[in-house]
Amino acid sequence: MDKLSYNLYTPKPTHTEMSITTKQSTVKAFDSLPVAIGFLIAVLVFTMFLVGYDQGQLFSVVEGQSAYDTMWIHELTHDMRHAAGFPCH
Amino acid sequence: MKALTLVGITLSSGVIAGIILAFLNLGIVEPTIDKAIALEVQKQVSAGENVNMSELIDYRYWQKAGAFAGGAIYGAGLAALFGVIFVFARNKLPGKNNKQKAMFLAGIMWFVLFLMVALKYPANPPAVGDPDTIYYRETLYIGYIMISGLAALGMSVIWIKTRINSKKIIIPLMYAAIMVTAYVIMPPNPDKIEISMDLIQTFRVLTAITIGVFWGILGIMFGSLWDKFLSKEQTLAAKLY
Ligand SMILES: [Zn+2]
Repeated sequence: MDKLSYNLYTPKPTHTEMSITTKQSTVKAFDSLPVAIGFLIAVLVFTMFLVGYDQGQLFSVVEGQSAYDTMWIHELTHDMRHAAGFPCH
Repeated sequence: MKALTLVGITLSSGVIAGIILAFLNLGIVEPTIDKAIALEVQKQVSAGENVNMSELIDYRYWQKAGAFAGGAIYGAGLAALFGVIFVFARNKLPGKNNKQKAMFLAGIMWFVLFLMVALKYPANPPAVGDPDTIYYRETLYIGYIMISGLAALGMSVIWIKTRINSKKIIIPLMYAAIMVTAYVIMPPNPDKIEISMDLIQTFRVLTAITIGVFWGILGIMFGSLWDKFLSKEQTLAAKLY
């Protein structure tokens, strides 16, 4: 069995394994294919929001209403937004 | 550590391809954006608005630098989607090695997620677009990408599950039928175009090319890195079926 299928299909490690490798098992918990896929999908949604959608929403969390006027992320990614075909202006 | 390796090669190939895209755009697409912005400024000046030219020039430098950040973010995001699809589809993709398989998938994704969408909602340079309709246009654009993407995904599943010979004709026709229907049903971009159509067409052709090159680079990078770091991991995708 390879490492990946170990991660996916082996039940919890035994007590001895656990005590030796607490740190390692934390790494392993993140090193499973479903977690990787979930993470990549989150990256997809967040990045597309930044480059293709944001009109100040993200910074409005801290800046409040003024973020909608500054539109810092929109302005920063502006040229790429046009070049990638997203609606912008 | 294979799943972490997958995330690593996915995001790094995306960021690198995105930065290369920004470099290409700087030489190929930016001149057209600058022309469009010049037209905008002309319009503002003739409408009696005060435009601080030196401020504008500095601002444009900042935005051109920002396009590199934009490219890295854009590349990482599309690569993330690419990586997820590749993991599921690798065994079914044509090609002798992972580089060829990745190139094939990248070509399909450029076609489905960019070109098909651009036929209905083509890219526009600055000077086109009414800020008041931005959310409406974003909704249309994202909706159309979802239609094209999900249709292609559905067709791929049918392709894998069916054994009939004529699927090579029937399945692309089914995708085409969905896209023609969507093309007819979806409302048009509401904004009027007030600048020269030449400039806009140039912009559209150039962006289709640079985005196509981006996908090609992403495919080559991802496939090479997969061969280097994950080639022994034949079971990575198989475990999911
Ligand atoms: Zn714009």
